[in-house]
Amino acid sequence: MAQSKFSRTWWGQKFISALEPLMDSGRLSRGRSYARGNKVKMFEIKDGSVFAQVRGSVNPYFGVYKEPLYKTTIEFEPISAANWSAAIALIASKASLISRLLLNEIPDNIEASFKKLGLNLLPASKKDFHTKCSCPDWSNPCKHIAGVYYLIAERLDNDPFLLFELRGLSREKLQLELAKSPLGKALCAEMLLEVSPPDLVDSYYSPPETVTVENCPDFHHFWQGNKRLPQTIDPLPQVPVAGIPIKKQGDFPSFWHRDNSFLEVMETLYDTVKIKGCL
Amino acid sequence: MKILHGTWVPESPTDFVQAGQFVLWGESTDQKKVNNGDRHPRQLVKAELADLLEQDFGLDILNYRSPSAQNQPCYFLLPTVENQPLPSLELSRYLEIELPNQFTWQYWKVDCYPTVARTKVRTGDTEAINGVVPLLNDLHFIALHGLSEVQLGADLLFWFHFTQALKRIIFKDQYIPAWKYREVLPPTPQKLAKVPKESTAKKGKAKQAIADIELYPAWEFIGEDYEACLQQFVDYMPWFCAAGFAAPGEQAQFHDRLSLLRHFSECLLTEVVSKVYRTQAVEKAIADSLIAQALTLPVPQPITNPSEATLENYQQWQTWRDRIVRTQSRQPFYLYFQLQDPPQPDQYWQLQFQIAPKQDPSLKISLRDYWRLKPTEQEKIKEQLGVGEDFEQHLLLNLGYAARIYPPLWQGLETDQPVSIALDLDGAFSFLKEAAWVLENAGYKVVVPAWWTPQGRQRAKVRLKAKSKSLGGNDKRKSYFSLDRLVEYQYELAIAGETVSEDEWQRLVQAKTPLVQFRGQWLELDQNKMRQMLDFWKTQQEANPELSLLEFLKLTASSDEEELEIDSDREETLAEMLTNLQNQCQFQAASEPENFQGQLREYQKRGVAWLQYLEQLGLNGCLADDMGLGKTIQVIARLVQERELAIKAGVKNVPPTLLIAPTSVVGNWFHEIQKFAPQLKAFIHHGGDRCQDVKVFKSLCRDHDLLITSFGLARKDAKLINGIQWQRIVLDEAQNIKNPKAALTKAILKFSANHRLALTGTPIENRLMDLWSIFNFLNPGYLSNQTQFRKGFELPIQKENDPRQVQTLKKLVEPFILRRLKTDKSIIKDLPDKVEQKLFCNLTKEQASLYEAVVKDVEKQLEEVEGIKRKGLILATLTKLKQVCNHPRQFLQDESDFTPERSHKLTRLTEMVEEVMAERESLLVFTQFTDLGSALEKYLRQVCHYQTYYLHGGTTRPKREAMIKEFQNPESEPSIFVLSLKAGGVGITLTKANHVFHFDRWWNPAVENQATDRAFRIGQQKNVFVHKFVAIGTLEERIDEMIEDKKKLAGAIVGADESWLTELDNDSFRSLIALNKQAILD
Repeated sequence: MAQSKFSRTWWGQKFISALEPLMDSGRLSRGRSYARGNKVKMFEIKDGSVFAQVRGSVNPYFGVYKEPLYKTTIEFEPISAANWSAAIALIASKASLISRLLLNEIPDNIEASFKKLGLNLLPASKKDFHTKCSCPDWSNPCKHIAGVYYLIAERLDNDPFLLFELRGLSREKLQLELAKSPLGKALCAEMLLEVSPPDLVDSYYSPPETVTVENCPDFHHFWQGNKRLPQTIDPLPQVPVAGIPIKKQGDFPSFWHRDNSFLEVMETLYDTVKIKGCL
Repeated sequence: MKILHGTWVPESPTDFVQAGQFVLWGESTDQKKVNNGDRHPRQLVKAELADLLEQDFGLDILNYRSPSAQNQPCYFLLPTVENQPLPSLELSRYLEIELPNQFTWQYWKVDCYPTVARTKVRTGDTEAINGVVPLLNDLHFIALHGLSEVQLGADLLFWFHFTQALKRIIFKDQYIPAWKYREVLPPTPQKLAKVPKESTAKKGKAKQAIADIELYPAWEFIGEDYEACLQQFVDYMPWFCAAGFAAPGEQAQFHDRLSLLRHFSECLLTEVVSKVYRTQAVEKAIADSLIAQALTLPVPQPITNPSEATLENYQQWQTWRDRIVRTQSRQPFYLYFQLQDPPQPDQYWQLQFQIAPKQDPSLKISLRDYWRLKPTEQEKIKEQLGVGEDFEQHLLLNLGYAARIYPPLWQGLETDQPVSIALDLDGAFSFLKEAAWVLENAGYKVVVPAWWTPQGRQRAKVRLKAKSKSLGGNDKRKSYFSLDRLVEYQYELAIAGETVSEDEWQRLVQAKTPLVQFRGQWLELDQNKMRQMLDFWKTQQEANPELSLLEFLKLTASSDEEELEIDSDREETLAEMLTNLQNQCQFQAASEPENFQGQLREYQKRGVAWLQYLEQLGLNGCLADDMGLGKTIQVIARLVQERELAIKAGVKNVPPTLLIAPTSVVGNWFHEIQKFAPQLKAFIHHGGDRCQDVKVFKSLCRDHDLLITSFGLARKDAKLINGIQWQRIVLDEAQNIKNPKAALTKAILKFSANHRLALTGTPIENRLMDLWSIFNFLNPGYLSNQTQFRKGFELPIQKENDPRQVQTLKKLVEPFILRRLKTDKSIIKDLPDKVEQKLFCNLTKEQASLYEAVVKDVEKQLEEVEGIKRKGLILATLTKLKQVCNHPRQFLQDESDFTPERSHKLTRLTEMVEEVMAERESLLVFTQFTDLGSALEKYLRQVCHYQTYYLHGGTTRPKREAMIKEFQNPESEPSIFVLSLKAGGVGITLTKANHVFHFDRWWNPAVENQATDRAFRIGQQKNVFVHKFVAIGTLEERIDEMIEDKKKLAGAIVGADESWLTELDNDSFRSLIALNKQAILD
């Protein structure tokens, strides 16, 4: 089975790369297995801080004989309110940034805007976050911290706005700031769209319903439709590129957990259906 | 007769996954004695159905025959009378039954063939699949081209059209992998009570309320095209398509048609996509994903009570799906990307962003202008666009989506007021080559420079420079007959229509980009192709080739326009020739021949000029004008014109023309020649006493201008005919030689003539093999041989709907076919609203002997009777003779066969009705005799299988109104209305018909006109064509003459009925009814 990465977005990976130089590879790899192995029992983000409970392992060497539950905290260095105002104003002046945020992506050139103000959005080094863990490991960050950190990275992929929250700008405040410019307003409106409830279905295929015989007016309509069939058949459409309807949504949609490109797979499939499908 | 039906039959709705199957079944004219009460008596039972599918349609029906095959019969809800299912509309035309107005509904059990095929899923691994789409395409192809005696029901035709439409949507990739979310409530306690063993374990109260969640992988259609397609096809869908059930219902009911279409489409999509062939590489690339799960169908395995993470995954998928759906749905405005080329080649290209309301794209405004407006002005624009406050949000989202599929757009969004992006040469080229297509297909509007559009595009081409070379020289006599024109040609290298030297060409081949500015004009070069062209050009330099005009036309039509340009503008004759051949409608009208006794309409004069022109070039054409536009008169005019021109050129003898026509029109040809060109010496080669001696025949031909014969005799007397060098062979109703293997066709192909001409009124361009056969007669070899033609044109066009081959074939045949439609604007201008023509038909031998007997009999009696008796005798005689002219059976009243062989009138009517029906138009047939009307109606329905109605004096009022309403309904099939002159002559409106036939003549044209006016009234959109039948050499012809020239009838007033004829003296009456024996034709 292909080893799935925690993040497939550039910002998720950049986020991770702020942590990785601080730790040895052994702790990092155990951190990853903690994140995957369902060891993080509780996970809460509040005012830019992450509180988590991580199930540790039995380790007689440290005198741990029962599976312990450690309290782990990661606090990110907040950006001041004044700085945020300036940063958001800058973001809202560029359609490229807003458009990407509208598409639920962190624009790859966003740091350039932050840099103008002497800031950075993604944590770049140790000074951008502080970590604590109740485990007996002398090293900080420890594997529990790493586990929680990886989970945050994973979450960032689908929720780039979490990054703003971690740096001290709550969603409510973000919206207030955005609403100050026309472009920002656009982003606000999209953020407020609610997640719809699941589409419940009673049958796998749309069910064929029944109607009474009175609907068929007479003998002729029974054997012939209300309208005459067209005399010609349109030729098959010649579309040079496959999968255009899904392409507007970008590659790696959030439900796609593989590392290879979703669009490439779908393109291959669409083309195969056209060539080999029973049509 | 057998009719093949079929429809989609869903499984009984017991499971969550309710699939279905597409089934075919056969209906036959043979009625079976079936013991079992609910078995359909006219069905083809399993073995018969298997035979039919294998033998008639050549299907590989897998193991359908094996007894173990799981083929459950299906149940169809059918209209039923007296415990018998009514036949389908198609079958009813082959049965002698009246369709009742009242019926009940009943389920009938029918043996069915499920359209199951096998498909390769992985290497060495096949699965059963619903192969309905390719199967219906095959069936349709076979049935359409008359390759089988079996007819497809309207139901199958519907499914053929629908599956093709669905295929187009699948080809646009408008479907996605999906999840289906289901909540399963635990069984209720009452039900559990029936299963006591398990009930105790599950009785916990808390558990009852919580539903199990199941997630099923699936495929679903997205986008508006799909929905629009369903909505469109519901209207085409016969109710029968919704009447198939796996098990008989308790009460009579149909499926709801829209929901059935949806069910079918979803099942089909799932089948086709989930069972598509996939390689190991693909399997690997999708492992553990939704796609992998959705491809392990069609037995979808649900994830029961999915984990939190899986549910989140569902939510994510749902958001993704909703966003796609939202972007597919309509927004009130279009976003445009317009590419502008730079003034200097080394500057940047601009890609401008623009917006326009969908309703009125002319209100386009560039974003650059929009941002500059004052807020109040911007509000105005928003109003025009039909957008609200969220306009900017939509605009940005749309730009963002566009940037996703075309990333260079991002650079234009580095501002809060995006207006455009700049592209370098390579960027512009890749935009034109690919991004423009993609954006266009994604719903954006793309405007490219005019030189890039197909119309304006200039290319590097090899140019064929051609000029004509006439062999005739200056010799007037020779040029009058001038036959072979040769085309000399040489090749040149050319770009954008300008000759390019080899050096210049080489330089361009070495250019770095494919987009270059050449002599101030941007164009795209394909350097690889240019290299090939250069090689080709070099090899062609030494030769000095010639082509015949025909070969030249073939080369012009079939060459790839992108590589070869035909240039003839340096040399006027050839250029003019090509223009003339390609723009037939602009042909300069010929002046009317001096000795032509009639008036040609403008388009007929153009037709004559076209005939002359083609023959001058040594080409043979097909005059294919719509029925009623006067093909006969144009041919006659051409014959007259030919002789006049010959005299002017000093040519004494023009060899005779051979005209081959169906027997039923031979007399008409002769009649028309006498009327319009009595100076033309024509003779009919027909009958038992026709000339059989070679020498006599030769001298006969030498003395005449025209020999008319029938197709039958053309074959029989082929040897005789072959001995003559004809000036021209004319085939009337040329589709008679559509079978290339028939002895008739082979015989005719051997005849030797300077010119050949085919006439036909049926749209031959739709029947490709007929077209080939006619061309094989006209210009042998021009459309290649039959096998090549089938492979190159028939299959690609009729089976694969290949628009490119359609275009090529059209270009090939267009110069040779002159087909004017009565609906053409330029024709309507020349036509009166009501076009009348008479059709002169001979009597058959049988008719003639009956006619003579009546005349003889009456001549004797005429001397003996007086007063009222005399009047009665005269009237009775008139009736009898008219009956004979119509059909022997009508006179004999003996219920003998009502066959066309016994009456040329009936033959001609049959042929003409076929042409009208082929045009999908409706017609009226009037007769003054009720018994003939009912015989005609029965014949047209049961022998010719058309949709018919019959109105006579005995028709009840409600029935009459129902018939008229149905006939007039624009959505009903084109049909035939037979009416008796008295009952149908007044009051009613039948404007759906644009052809009116008068099978027999009435003495007073006012009565005929009144009848004609049923079709020719307010509401008639088309020109009305009136066809009046006249039996040659009989009283009908004389009545016609009298009507034509009332003055000849001194003192007589043509009354409303026939009573005035009783005033004629015996001699006059005798000459009125006398038979002209020359008019007999067997």
